[in-house]
Amino acid sequence: MPTKNKKKAATQSCSPTQRRLWLMYPPKLIQKPLIWELGQQFKVVTNIRQASVTDEIGIVCLEVDGERADVKAAMQWLEKLGVSVEPVEINAIAS
Amino acid sequence: MSEHQGFMKALKCRECAREYPLAATHVCEFDFGPLEVAYDYDRIKKSLTRQSIESRPKTMWRYRELLPVAGEPTVGQQVGFTPLVRADRLARQLGIRELWVKNDAVNYPTLSFKDRVVSVALSRSKELGFETVACASTGNLANSVAANAASAGLKSYVFIPSDLEQGKILNSLIYGANVIAIKGHYDEVNRLCAEIAGKFGWAFVNVNMRPYYAEGSKSMAYEIAEQLGWRAPEHTIVPMASGSLLTKIHKGYQEMMKVGLIAGSHPKVYGAQATGCSPISTAQRAGLDFFKPVKPDTIAKSLAIGTPADGFYALKVMRETGAAADDVTDDEIRDGIKLLAETEGIFAETAGGVTVGVAKKLIASGKIPRDSSAVICITGNGLKTLDAVQGHCGKAREIKPSLREFEALLADEEKVGS
Repeated sequence: MPTKNKKKAATQSCSPTQRRLWLMYPPKLIQKPLIWELGQQFKVVTNIRQASVTDEIGIVCLEVDGERADVKAAMQWLEKLGVSVEPVEINAIAS
Repeated sequence: MSEHQGFMKALKCRECAREYPLAATHVCEFDFGPLEVAYDYDRIKKSLTRQSIESRPKTMWRYRELLPVAGEPTVGQQVGFTPLVRADRLARQLGIRELWVKNDAVNYPTLSFKDRVVSVALSRSKELGFETVACASTGNLANSVAANAASAGLKSYVFIPSDLEQGKILNSLIYGANVIAIKGHYDEVNRLCAEIAGKFGWAFVNVNMRPYYAEGSKSMAYEIAEQLGWRAPEHTIVPMASGSLLTKIHKGYQEMMKVGLIAGSHPKVYGAQATGCSPISTAQRAGLDFFKPVKPDTIAKSLAIGTPADGFYALKVMRETGAAADDVTDDEIRDGIKLLAETEGIFAETAGGVTVGVAKKLIASGKIPRDSSAVICITGNGLKTLDAVQGHCGKAREIKPSLREFEALLADEEKVGS
């Protein structure tokens, strides 16, 4: 998956991007080193800016830098695992 | 007021208290905490008195020193000062001594409380030199941005999920807004809107203008206190989507005490959600200081935010003031809409049904004492959510154009009633 992702990303987009995200971990994922894995699997730079962990939820504010397609693939990978991924604004859509 | 920043001092991070210039920015560069407007309350106290307020036009701008504009407002000068209705008939039904309804269902110009936040955001946007304004919305906010931008001669972009009902889209299109429908799941649309907001240098009212925008909600608290004869109510019940309104109503009461407009007291602000989207009320009842995200499933679309941005802060305010939250089912929401309409002649949108339903629960459970005074905040007009009550209000009875037939109908009714 990592190598395939990187090759695929290069053909899709070469524009650098930075995303600022809130990650919310369900209890079953709290002890997993997901941000380390993210750095191994995708060509992105991660920077934790704030974090809070309780028995019931893990919340991490994360800056992710990389090519647009790599960042997008990294976000999709987290979501597929069950992590809630929100932009730093959280609700860009209001009622 | 100061020529450059009025009575504002800076933007301040709600997490680490770092200060930033009064620009179009919304998160702290250090910890990504949300920014909020900080004011010079000592100067406000000298400038703003009950007499000066009472001498001004009856709009939300009569409290302008406490709102985040540098000069005179330029957008939405007629917004606010909606009726505070003494609701004795509803009070009897809910079993409380004194009840009031703050009715933003008749707010100008688009019949929801969003006109308050939008007029502040657009007035500040003009001060900062923006010519294009934008928002991402599923309803009331879109309508308000489109209408207020039109009246101010600003170009507007409104982003909506592509599956939004036609009626809601028309309510923005009519004002000449550029309406962009985005295909995809809510989360994808939400992320794209955040990205667009960061890229195009527009005034995105609920993103980069959010510190100013959110402050507009405080005006509802100022009006309630003035309309009650310069006092804060003991209990205020508000609907919660992001949770921002609850925190700002609380801030509004606190500010009025701080600048000496009302006497010190301990007003409590209670939160109302729909059971189908209740991350904040569920956390409050469980005694948690954080919420768990949910997937919304409720007829109260205007409150359907599964990951509420201000949920943490709303929980903090309720915890610190001893207030509470609750939620109601879709059937209870419809019952709440009907009860308010039948007792007070006020037709509220689904969020109003949520607030009435939760008020009933909070009073019945004793969390709001029966021998007290409370205010229910209605934030939008029922004409906007007709589908929610369609088929639940009975039917018109049809007769031929005949007096005899009408008399027979009345006679039948009397028989049933006797």
